[in-house]
Amino acid sequence: MTKSAATFLRDLRDEVESHPGTNHMFLCRLAWVPFTREDYLVASTQHYPLVGTFTRYLEELLLRAPTSEAKSWLAKVLVDEYGEGSDGKDHRTLYREYLVAAGLQGFDDLDTPLHKDVTAFVFEHLRIVKEEPFLVGLGAVGPGHEWSIPKMFPPIIQGLRKSGFSESSIVYFTLHALQDIDHGRWLEEALLLNASTSKAQQEIRRGTLLSLEARERFWSGVQDKVTRWRQPQNVHLRTQARGERFSLRSMAKEGLKDQLVRLRPPAQELTLRQLRAMTAVDKAA
Amino acid sequence: MRILFVQPAPFEPGRLGLENAIWLSEPAAFTSLAAMVPDHECRILDLRLEPDSALNRELLAFRPDIVAVSCMTTDSYQAMAILQCAKNTLGADKVFCIAGGHHPSLAPYDFHQVSIIDAIAIGEGEDTFKELVAHLDQGGARRKLQRIDGLCFFDGAEWVTTTKRAQSRSMDSFPLPDRSLLKKYSGSYFFMSAMPMGSLSTSRGCAYDCNFCGIWEFYEKKVRFLSAARICDALEAMDESFVMFLDDNFLTSQKRLEELCDEIERRGIRKLYGAQGRADFVVKHPELMARLRKAGLTLLISGYETNDEQGLAALKKSSVADANKIAAKMLNDLGIAIFGIFMVRPDFTHADFDFLYQSIDEMRITLPIITIHTPLPGTQLRKLAQGNLLTEDVRFFDLLHAVTPTTLSREEFYTRFTEGWAKREWRNAPFLDFVKKRPDFMKITWRGLIHLTQMLVRYRPVATSPESHLRDEIGIIPADLTVLNAREKATDKAPIKTAPLPSSSKGLRIISDQAAE
Repeated sequence: MTKSAATFLRDLRDEVESHPGTNHMFLCRLAWVPFTREDYLVASTQHYPLVGTFTRYLEELLLRAPTSEAKSWLAKVLVDEYGEGSDGKDHRTLYREYLVAAGLQGFDDLDTPLHKDVTAFVFEHLRIVKEEPFLVGLGAVGPGHEWSIPKMFPPIIQGLRKSGFSESSIVYFTLHALQDIDHGRWLEEALLLNASTSKAQQEIRRGTLLSLEARERFWSGVQDKVTRWRQPQNVHLRTQARGERFSLRSMAKEGLKDQLVRLRPPAQELTLRQLRAMTAVDKAA
Repeated sequence: MRILFVQPAPFEPGRLGLENAIWLSEPAAFTSLAAMVPDHECRILDLRLEPDSALNRELLAFRPDIVAVSCMTTDSYQAMAILQCAKNTLGADKVFCIAGGHHPSLAPYDFHQVSIIDAIAIGEGEDTFKELVAHLDQGGARRKLQRIDGLCFFDGAEWVTTTKRAQSRSMDSFPLPDRSLLKKYSGSYFFMSAMPMGSLSTSRGCAYDCNFCGIWEFYEKKVRFLSAARICDALEAMDESFVMFLDDNFLTSQKRLEELCDEIERRGIRKLYGAQGRADFVVKHPELMARLRKAGLTLLISGYETNDEQGLAALKKSSVADANKIAAKMLNDLGIAIFGIFMVRPDFTHADFDFLYQSIDEMRITLPIITIHTPLPGTQLRKLAQGNLLTEDVRFFDLLHAVTPTTLSREEFYTRFTEGWAKREWRNAPFLDFVKKRPDFMKITWRGLIHLTQMLVRYRPVATSPESHLRDEIGIIPADLTVLNAREKATDKAPIKTAPLPSSSKGLRIISDQAAE
């Protein structure tokens, strides 16, 4: 039986708010582990590529919105994302201010290697908004983003405050924690009108979960960068738990070929410059 | 009720730390607590053996009413992250979160976090936990826990500590640990090559009052024993051929150890054992040590600390250097592997390092475990060192970082410290002697040798590199800080001058949009 749109959205919100992508252990660690500014800078260089791309997802989706009503909801969020409500500063500007506070010195280059799951996050969302049905895209940018961010950012803010960042330097995060509550509500209004059929509900949920699953991998990737810059060679059992262990038992179970594939060094990581060239994000921004 | 026990991993993945590299014991506290509440559905999640995401997924699949963590000092941030995850995932009012174990008991104020913690169990937890579960199961209020001894909880206005729980219950009166909850991790616990390994606590507490150790404070200097019959009941219920006794000081009572040998012989239990015990006990009881060897004792972890008499006295070790040397010889003769723990003090000079390493080599220690003298929370030493601490970040209290100023420069200090590991590793002559003397041990642990080799080959570059230590300190402890300038640095408001960033820290290359624009 098809749920009413309101029931569906309530259940979906519960699912978003309890999802591993929203409550990733890295976020929980940020709240309690006294990471240094150096650690935050490493994390930020991985997070920053996402900052300019959300507007790109909305723009792509806007082009495919089936009705003028849907277009106007997306446009409303988009205008806010461009900087309304934040003294005219767009999100990239706010984020750069934070990067400076985290220790950005001078202007280096765009050649920071990005974790493969960071770039994968961007590619996956571009694919969703371009290739999947409109409601799948709406699920990804709506519940997938706007419902999860107000829950993901508070532990980050807690950690930043604990590490001594001033309020003015973390506006990007504090603004989003509040602004995305509004955005989520606006998109929820749009979803209420569009989530009355079983097919529509399935598409919205699919988009939401695709986004959150990419998000979960994204946070794991960021955490990996943060911890590996200090100890690139370290070994802990959980490293094995991620499936990098080579043993006679696992070889027998999975075959030598699969094991050797695992042991290969990771594929060349893309840089932000390359990512932007491939996704033409700068053009859009 | 549904109860999820979560064992934290000591560090966020990737950080320096010996835990889990050479010794991983069962989360024995949880199997003991679970045995106290047999009418409730319990699960154990050991995050040392799981990817991070396992926690989120278990929370969603099991939907526990209670999430309990137990932690030592170095994993207390991780314990809080776990409870944060539980509250975030299930909802603050839908799950009761409790922290217990060594660090929460000795430093409960570190866990006064209303948003994620409902209660802290202080001291021995079995009866406290049983009463708490009964209270919650009967619909008791979460913030009215005054009647349960051994708790610290937030009553809505402030943190309240209830009456101290008497730690006097006979160990035999506790049910045996519910090890069935660890079935999914069967074969995963180890000490060196001894894998799979069973773990069993046969006593609690320590009668000595070494100033660097908090065990005697935790157990109020009382020692209680499991009877020989109960120990053997537990051993017979274990499938593993190698069992590690988790006692803080297994070698305490001659009478009980003789009874244990009698009982093992009477029942014909054929297993091998590891334990922790003091060198002076070994020296005073040569016949008993021979009997224990015959009964299966294969390795002994001993805190030798130092062979410097003044150093031993300063630690309130109540032992002498000669006892260390004689004990080492006796154990070598008996074919009992010696895992000797030695302490490097931050005030060590080159001569001190030379003396320590020379004495380790002379003692023919099977595997020396070299640590840094650390004022752990809850110890007498901590009280003495409080004004001298360079950081309160608990991750640095792992015995591998100097948390007080060093006499040598930090780079020199860690160079000499890691040299101790690099030159005295498991392939050394005493280890090979042990291998020759104990074919019985090698016979049951040869499979674990593959695991051990893997771990050591991968861990060695980390453990033997001073850079590993210095990297952890970037942004926290100035690389140029020594005892000579510590006071001056303490008042210096300038940002910390850190060691140069390692070349491999590619993540720190800075992004600049301007460059592209």
